[in-house]
Amino acid sequence: MIHRDMVCPFCGCLCDDLVVETEDGQVVQVDNACTLGSNKMMGAWQHRLKSPVMRDGGGWRDTTYEEACEYAAGVLLDADRPLMYGWSSTQGEAQGIGVSMAELLGGVIDSTTSVCHGPSILAIQEVGHPGCTLGQVKNRADLVIYWACNPTEAHPRHMSRYTTYADGFFMENAFRDRKLIVVDVRKSDTASIADEFMQVKPGGDYAVLSALRAIVRGRADVVPKTVAGVTKEQLVRVAALCKEARFGALFFGVGLTMAPGKYKNVRNAIELVDELNRHTKWTLTPLRGHYNVYGSNEVFTWMTGYPYAVDFSRQIAFYNPGETTAVDILARQECDACLIVASDPGAHFPKQCLEHLAEIPTVLIDPMQTATTPLCRCQIPTAVTGMDASGTAYRMDGVPIHLKKFLDLGYPTDTEIIGRIFKQVKEVKHP
Amino acid sequence: MRFVFNTGRTAAQGAGLERKTSEEYQKATSVARMNPVDMMDLEIEDGERLRVSGPAGTVVLRVEANDGIPRGTVFVPLGPYANAVLDGETHGTGMPDYKSVSVEIEPTDDPVPTIPALMEGIGGVALRREE
Ligand code: SF4
Repeated sequence: MIHRDMVCPFCGCLCDDLVVETEDGQVVQVDNACTLGSNKMMGAWQHRLKSPVMRDGGGWRDTTYEEACEYAAGVLLDADRPLMYGWSSTQGEAQGIGVSMAELLGGVIDSTTSVCHGPSILAIQEVGHPGCTLGQVKNRADLVIYWACNPTEAHPRHMSRYTTYADGFFMENAFRDRKLIVVDVRKSDTASIADEFMQVKPGGDYAVLSALRAIVRGRADVVPKTVAGVTKEQLVRVAALCKEARFGALFFGVGLTMAPGKYKNVRNAIELVDELNRHTKWTLTPLRGHYNVYGSNEVFTWMTGYPYAVDFSRQIAFYNPGETTAVDILARQECDACLIVASDPGAHFPKQCLEHLAEIPTVLIDPMQTATTPLCRCQIPTAVTGMDASGTAYRMDGVPIHLKKFLDLGYPTDTEIIGRIFKQVKEVKHP
Repeated sequence: MRFVFNTGRTAAQGAGLERKTSEEYQKATSVARMNPVDMMDLEIEDGERLRVSGPAGTVVLRVEANDGIPRGTVFVPLGPYANAVLDGETHGTGMPDYKSVSVEIEPTDDPVPTIPALMEGIGGVALRREE
């Protein structure tokens, strides 16, 4: 069977033009998706865990959904400071139940935002977000900057759907009329196709952004000959290109949020965009990685007022990144139980955090075996949203998109499993 | 020799994301890309192995020459190998130093560990069953 207009549940581009062919409950062909998307679609139906598994002495045993959910609820109820982490590759509906459960338990809920664009949010909270939808960029932008990111490898269709290779409604020949500037510490694949590549010394983004701001302000005289490895001539040239643009779009990746300076780098980028907005139209968008990490920020914000790292131990929502973020809580060995949903800290958290995760009762809700599996006590497999479950996800520009289901493999959805655990928690906490 | 340890996404790492138990993902994340001049200084050839020691520990990686990497920096894709050397310091931001930790690098003949072995070293128990 051919399913058209399917949405890719991989990265924040949420491409919604996929054509998926299924035969006898198997995916046989995926069209329009990039390598990342098609790898997920082609592989995700076959590499699932067959049933929940539980640690048994030195090994593992299969178990039922009933026992696994009961175990998860018990672990969370027994804990003084449970941590509920992940939430980026799941449905908005499941995220909502997660927040309610964290509140009832007096726990901490955090999403993978804290280790990707958390610092971008901190910067946005300080100076605002001059953003727009990707449709605006596609149709209007005549200058695109990719700063400290590599969409060719991390968001492979971003350029063909929304920027460099996309048609623009207000442009005669979008491909020729659009200029591309790449700023990075290394010459990535994206850099090699740029009109202008600015190579910054590692850790130098803040200085380069400040220099550009000064030049745009008309104070090129205070800028030294080179700034973090970039020559003044190039800075002046880039600043002029930015000012001449009719509509400029700056996209940035975790190269800014993870580098020294972290959220201050992003703040400086936003202030550069502000400065440019005195001359022409500019916008800025973080390139979000997981397909629904933006959704976790939205859902957490409507429900608690804060976008991630929300701590309910004081019975009200409390938010203090650096203290209530997952990495810090784990590194300080503060939580005594952990529920991980649709994310893989085993692969992406520093070793010190994983050591603690392995020590406490950790429950993982994820369709497949991951690097976190060995560290947990119980894993509950669920359906993959956008494949055998439908649900809501938010694109990197904040547009909610409905993901459609095209397969039925008999797995419960994340919403169902978290709902079941929540029900048992409520029976004890709210009889 | 001391290097700045930089991590990030690659297409191969991303393609393997949904199957972290696969050899493909293991290979994609256990590689250290380095400037060829630095490799000459370390007297090491493409495909040989390095021991990387950071604030949280040590890991063995395979080296791959890459002209795009500036001297003094080593690039390792996001994943369990990169994280084996990183610590939990976030300077009050929630974000670890994924791009700026300083590491010590030396050539080695030791094998690159598997991901289950890495996780067992941390205190986990691998579920050895490929489905
Ligand atoms: S760019 Fe992202 S959303 Fe689009 S097909 Fe590739 S992985 Fe999927």
